[in-house]
Amino acid sequence: MTWGVCICDNETGWWVDEDERARLAEFVGSRTPALMRVAYLLTGDRNAAEDLFQSALARTIPKWGTIRHTDPEGYLRVVMYREQVSWWRRLRRWRETPLDPADEPVGGDPSGGSDVRLAMRAALRHLPPTQRAVVVLRYYEDLPEARVAELLGCSVGTVRSRTHRAVKRLRDLLPDVDMLEVRR
Amino acid sequence: MTEPFEHLIRRTLTDLAEEAPIVHDQLSRAERRVRNRRRATVTVGAVSTLAAILIATPFAVAATGSDEPPPAVPSPAGPAAVPSPPVPTPSAPTAVPMESSPRGAEMPPGKTVGPPGVPGRPTGTPSPSSPPGVPGRPGDPVASPDPSSPPGVPGVPGPPAVKPSPSR
Repeated sequence: MTWGVCICDNETGWWVDEDERARLAEFVGSRTPALMRVAYLLTGDRNAAEDLFQSALARTIPKWGTIRHTDPEGYLRVVMYREQVSWWRRLRRWRETPLDPADEPVGGDPSGGSDVRLAMRAALRHLPPTQRAVVVLRYYEDLPEARVAELLGCSVGTVRSRTHRAVKRLRDLLPDVDMLEVRR
Repeated sequence: MTEPFEHLIRRTLTDLAEEAPIVHDQLSRAERRVRNRRRATVTVGAVSTLAAILIATPFAVAATGSDEPPPAVPSPAGPAAVPSPPVPTPSAPTAVPMESSPRGAEMPPGKTVGPPGVPGRPTGTPSPSSPPGVPGRPGDPVASPDPSSPPGVPGVPGPPAVKPSPSR
């Protein structure tokens, strides 16, 4: 192994060789679309999704030497999930500018069908980060409760309660969903 | 009722995921973020260490000199009492070595000198060819020897008055 090529410079303090640097770049390039989708679902905002992914990647790069042979994507996902529900991150996001007007929900769709999903998309924005993360893991990633609890670092009971509250909140935000479903 | 609603959630999330932004060159940005974070960590650590030193130094100095009050603070009990020099205790009269006694007797060490006695005869012996002169008047003895006071030096006997020999 030849040491001497630094990823950034001496200030960062970590060194990898050229092969590891190439593997890291290949991993990031291949898994960025999927991870960005998860980040976008977790945040609901394009800029916030990019910021979340970069933040998680910045926490993963120093650990690359120890996780490269195990499951770097799983590690990066865990970092992303936990970063999203972090109290400090919520505090930082609270001070940022509101959503881009382009991301605001549009008006109803008279064609039917899509307006239900638009209403659901608007309702998902009102979920707190913890409940939103549980919803994404349970209904988008289709992970069992035990796995979700392992990823989020909480108990299975907590996952169940958060899921129940999230679904109840969505139902409260969409009181006419039954009528919309009937109309479809 | 729950199943259709959960299905609606899944479909919405799938549609929403398709709208995720496409980004490029995330690695270099993340590396830049790592560098900034490391620099911020080092800066915060250095500032914290400096602040801890600045705060703890006065306390450490005060703790080391806690036995004595600070010089700027006056003592409520007034100035500290200066210890008096030790009072000399009365002791026995010191022995005064006698260089020479009129009789040539020497005192043993450790014995005190008693009151001076009557001076003895002059040691000088007149030669047989000349008649002995009239001995001189002895020195005055020390008056009133007091046993409580250290004895004085015995008087020196006066020189013997020698008259010149008529044969000369």
